[in-house]
Amino acid sequence: MGILDGVGQGLAVALQPTNLLYVFIGVLIGTVIGVLPGLGPTATIALLLPLTYTIEPATAVILLAGIYYGSMYGGTITSVLLRLPGEAASVVTTFDGYQMAKHGRAGPALGIAAVGSFIGGVLAVVGLILLAPPLADLAVSFGPPEYVALTALGILMVTYLGSGSPLKSLSMAALGLLLATVGQDPITGTTRFTFGQVSLFDGVDFVAVAMGLFGVGEILHSLERTEKVHAVTQKIKHIWPTRQDFRDSAGAIGRGSVLGFVIGVLPGGGGVISSLASYALEKRRAKDPSRFGKGAIQGVAGPETANNASSTSAFIPLLTLGIPANVVLALIFGALLVQGITPGPQLITEEPEVFWGVIASMLIGNLMLLALNIPLVGVFVQLLRVRAGILAAFALVVTMAGVFSVNNDIFDMWVVLVFGVIGWLMKKTGFEPGPLVLAFVLGSIMERAFRQSMLLSGGSLDIFVTRPLSGGLLAVMAMVIVISFLAARRRRAVFEHVEPEDEDTDDVDAEQERAAGGDDSDGDSGRDGGTPKVAPLAAHRPAEGDPGAEAPRGGGDSGVPTPPPNEGRR
Amino acid sequence: MRSTRALSALLLLCSALAGCASQAGSEDAAEYPSEDVRLLVPYSAGGPTDIAARALGRYMESELGRPVVVENLPGASGANSYVELISSEPDGHTLSMTALPTAVLNYLANDVGYTREDFAPVGVVTQVPSGIVVPAGSPHQDLESLFAAARQDPQAISVGTPGATNTHAAETRRITQLYDVPLTVVPFEGATQVQTALLGGNVSAGFINLSQDALPAIESGDLRVLAVGSREPLPYVDAPTLVELGYPELVQSTTTFGVLAPAGTPEEIVQRLEEILRNASEDEAVVEALDPRYVPEKFIGSDGLADLFVETEETFRDVVGD
Repeated sequence: MGILDGVGQGLAVALQPTNLLYVFIGVLIGTVIGVLPGLGPTATIALLLPLTYTIEPATAVILLAGIYYGSMYGGTITSVLLRLPGEAASVVTTFDGYQMAKHGRAGPALGIAAVGSFIGGVLAVVGLILLAPPLADLAVSFGPPEYVALTALGILMVTYLGSGSPLKSLSMAALGLLLATVGQDPITGTTRFTFGQVSLFDGVDFVAVAMGLFGVGEILHSLERTEKVHAVTQKIKHIWPTRQDFRDSAGAIGRGSVLGFVIGVLPGGGGVISSLASYALEKRRAKDPSRFGKGAIQGVAGPETANNASSTSAFIPLLTLGIPANVVLALIFGALLVQGITPGPQLITEEPEVFWGVIASMLIGNLMLLALNIPLVGVFVQLLRVRAGILAAFALVVTMAGVFSVNNDIFDMWVVLVFGVIGWLMKKTGFEPGPLVLAFVLGSIMERAFRQSMLLSGGSLDIFVTRPLSGGLLAVMAMVIVISFLAARRRRAVFEHVEPEDEDTDDVDAEQERAAGGDDSDGDSGRDGGTPKVAPLAAHRPAEGDPGAEAPRGGGDSGVPTPPPNEGRR
Repeated sequence: MRSTRALSALLLLCSALAGCASQAGSEDAAEYPSEDVRLLVPYSAGGPTDIAARALGRYMESELGRPVVVENLPGASGANSYVELISSEPDGHTLSMTALPTAVLNYLANDVGYTREDFAPVGVVTQVPSGIVVPAGSPHQDLESLFAAARQDPQAISVGTPGATNTHAAETRRITQLYDVPLTVVPFEGATQVQTALLGGNVSAGFINLSQDALPAIESGDLRVLAVGSREPLPYVDAPTLVELGYPELVQSTTTFGVLAPAGTPEEIVQRLEEILRNASEDEAVVEALDPRYVPEKFIGSDGLADLFVETEETFRDVVGD
């Protein structure tokens, strides 16, 4: 099928009244939870997952995808008006967006963010349309060894890109891998770690784990926070940016689109990493970098564009390889599995209405978001008045009812509660649930693929390096490790300098940023937005000053309380 | 509203007639069903077993005059559903769909809390045959050539199967055991993944169900069927049977979908349900929904399904778990 036919078919699916309704609901929910500092896209999608099982597969993914990129728009509003990121990827927007708001330019900040997000989103959809089909063709030849390499790379990246210490991320990833071994052995069919529980034969239910760690854990954590949110309720004027604003941000939007797209495709990429990278890029390119942090419109336009572009391009590995690039995509992967659809290279030929329908719906959804965001900003701001307690109780009920409905199994409800408590404890101790959940999903794919490889090779490990694709991927992985070690050493070296300038190469710089202030893209630390002591504000550090210089101090462990940069300067 | 009432009256009449027709003379059977009937499905909603159950459920509803509630209890290769079935009252108000030989392989390999003794088989709904397939570009034009390559180099031929505990993996191991053809079983997760691996050249052959979702790739020529695992040749697949090719033992790869009641269900009720299944297998609308290719030409009832359980158990007792 040609690309044009595909897009045509996709539009036919996406324009069905039901799907139009669901994409609207999706982007609306996304915007709302993006605005609310307590809930991020990961928690929301985890909570709503079971409700999607009764609807058509294409419609379900259209809805969930809408929530994901919708939250990228919504997060901006809170960041600009309150200097609290509504979700993780908008952390960066607090730097300049809030400053713009203080100077009475909240309107243009929100306006340029919406326009940038729209352009980034649409360009990423176009990229997805052009890139996904050939990649799917290539992916058909991917055998078990390639999947081993890909999943290992994914787990490695997600631990490196985590916002906490790499050691904590690695230990969470290890726990995820361990959890993935519960249940029937994929090759012999014998049961492992089931303790005679028939409910554990298929392993611990992924949906229940994700809902517990992200949903319930988040709810419990948010109930501990008591401080009130002070919304800026003054009238927001002149949302549509001026011609000068557009001229100033055009370059930032263009670069943000490309950067966001590329980072979104990488395993563990997307979300906050793309916006941090874009911010750093814009600052480096600026004629007068000192304006950044004081209300530079490029500092809003670039990152907002990039995070939306990356949330779209993150669908590429899922739809072509069946490998989720980040936790949100892992949840959507779970939604498809329950629907009886295994995402993979065959998806495009076997379920074209899902593949093309979802892509086409993204165009429509972005258009809706643009239309929603510009005139309705004032309405969304009012949402900040909803009390966290009410929201939490409601979300908990939905969660428990939802998880029961997946398998009609009470056991799963216990899994949610247990993992809810674990998730809450992890939050308190600075462990990220992201690496755990992604390693849990990728772990079962990796185990099966590894053992299939061993069967195919007769037990010889050579199969991983003699095949060009898996050999190449493993080489990339080795490179990532080497570069990050070098970057760590260099960072230490740079720290000694009094006035470190931007002499670093782009790669090393980006790498440092990730190590220092990045997040695992799942919208995690953003949901901490209410507490200005944890992750998001630690993530201010690298982008606030020079990435190279700030990294060693602010980096290390973002759980360490760091004063908000502006206060620190006073 | 009125039309619904008229319809339900009609349904009641139908069921009364049906009830008279299969009158077994017992009080229990005459009163059955006295409440809603649950039809458990051991697989998730939307899958082939679920679709079959829903088509069958609608027909049973019209015959029994009581709602038949289809309930999905997926997981543990069906064990969740079977455990729920045998823990319910054996009065015919709880039934379960089943898939053979998975249901048997399951309890042969693991302690899942049931064996065939815990069931009262009602009858067979559909039978889906399997086939050994190779990708279009494979050098092997017939089964003999594939097996010859395997005998020459024991590492050469890998066979992708849709899972570890289903019939295809077990039947492939039987080929190796009975006929001394060294084949490497590579279990995947579902037939789609096997197809991908075949098209990508990552396994040399596949042993898969020739179900609705596999037939398009065969009709388009992407996959070539070297042999089918049914006793008789199939009218819709142009390939010899394994029996015809000189492997008379290899007839166990067909997947049988049937209906079970818990052991201890009164004989009359089982007979009544069996009769309903028999009529369903002749009802045009039901057969159309089930796919006529998979509805057995000659109805297999309670005894037939019970025999199939025994036969499957005997066949696979020695191959699982190695």
